[in-house]
Amino acid sequence: MGKVIVITSGKGGVGKTTSTANLGTALAMIRKTVVMVDADIGLRNLDVVMGLESRVVYTSMDVIEKRCDLDKALVKDRRVEDLMLLAASQRNRKDDIKPEQMQVICEKLKQEYDFVLIDSPAGIEQGFHNAAAGADEAIIITTPDVSAIRDADRIIGLLQHQGIESISLVLNRLSPTLVKNGNMMSKNDVLDHLNIDLLGVVPEDTGVIASTNRGVPLVHNDGSPGAAAYMRIARRMTGQRVPIPEMREENFMSNLLNWFSRNK
Amino acid sequence: MENSIVKLRGYKDGLHLIINPKVSLTEVEAAIRDLLNGMNQPLAGTSIHIDMTTSPLTSDDLKDLETHLTENYDLVVSGVNIYDEKNESPILAAPATHSISPSLTTDNHPNFEQAQVVRQMIRSGQIISCLAGSVIVYGDVNPGGEVVAAGDIIVLGALRGNAHAGAHGKLSSVIIAMELVPLQLQIGSYVNRPPIDQKPRGYPEIARVGAEDIIIVEEFIKF
Repeated sequence: MGKVIVITSGKGGVGKTTSTANLGTALAMIRKTVVMVDADIGLRNLDVVMGLESRVVYTSMDVIEKRCDLDKALVKDRRVEDLMLLAASQRNRKDDIKPEQMQVICEKLKQEYDFVLIDSPAGIEQGFHNAAAGADEAIIITTPDVSAIRDADRIIGLLQHQGIESISLVLNRLSPTLVKNGNMMSKNDVLDHLNIDLLGVVPEDTGVIASTNRGVPLVHNDGSPGAAAYMRIARRMTGQRVPIPEMREENFMSNLLNWFSRNK
Repeated sequence: MENSIVKLRGYKDGLHLIINPKVSLTEVEAAIRDLLNGMNQPLAGTSIHIDMTTSPLTSDDLKDLETHLTENYDLVVSGVNIYDEKNESPILAAPATHSISPSLTTDNHPNFEQAQVVRQMIRSGQIISCLAGSVIVYGDVNPGGEVVAAGDIIVLGALRGNAHAGAHGKLSSVIIAMELVPLQLQIGSYVNRPPIDQKPRGYPEIARVGAEDIIIVEEFIKF
């Protein structure tokens, strides 16, 4: 029996969908069976990020309204074995689905898969409650800026209230250069504030934009810092002990920028 | 509108006449005369509270003072608040809304007060309110979180959100935190906020209503 993990943030645009796509792919790459559920009904885009847009025939709404079986609604990934996607309906709204219906789907999926990752919509309304309804654990995605952290804090409170005890944090888009210059909150600042376990840190990586647009998750792109970070997080999710490396700004671009600012 | 012996303050429940206890009745009366004569607005008919500590003025003195105020200035004395000197309020200027009843002081009982203990951190959107007494939080209060108490607020962590002590108007209430970097502080009806970008100082701090009717924050050493 697997576990259901909701990936959520409160604030929009911090990388929930990107993280779901990358963690799902990374887990499947290390031989776990994974299904990703897009809970962002009416504004779905996990299928786009995965590059599976054209393959979606049935959605979770069709399963709930019994137009098709759950197995039939799952879309197989193009590249990795044992990676499935349950897309969200684009025609419906978030309150067309009830938390209990979501729970039933999650229960069924976790019988057959090691990981059920739920991509939560932004906000704290019905859509969030649906996404969190069937979850055993939660991963909070946040960027190191105050508004995202404030919302993450709020979401943690709501999840705890719902009885989800295992909540961990992924700090996304951390820029070592900005932290060093004192223009961005550091990892420790964020942890001090939110007071939950850190699952991983993903550095700012411009490769994300290209990979999203091509519909190929970043983890397929060996050698990118973001991909390495997601792979480490996936290993930690399977129970392996992988240390979180301290980030240093030692790439060509930052050295170049430093050189320019020194010689101004 | 004040001198070193007596002060006149307007609070929610009316005017308070605050008397320095270290002087004799004649000096107090003289000071009251100076104070009231020096005012433009005649106070005839107004009701006032008298705030003072238990020291030198005896109950006979107090009666004389009340008669003096009633007859000479046409004031109505609506109440007398007496501090216990050992338990002196941190702010002499604030009215003692928890005036210690004589039976307690004579028996030397400490002044116990109800408190609610919160064994978790308070996150954004969460609110803890205790309208019966004080609140003690074993953790942080994050921005967007709020603590409201009729009495004091003690945060054994960082206070980064909002805190409202003395919610029923008890101005002697205080807010103590190991790290006091709030969005906003409120004691009674006074509101204050720290300067923008205030960094934690690394020692516990206490906020209370100071003599100038503003909330002051200083290092917390001893109550």
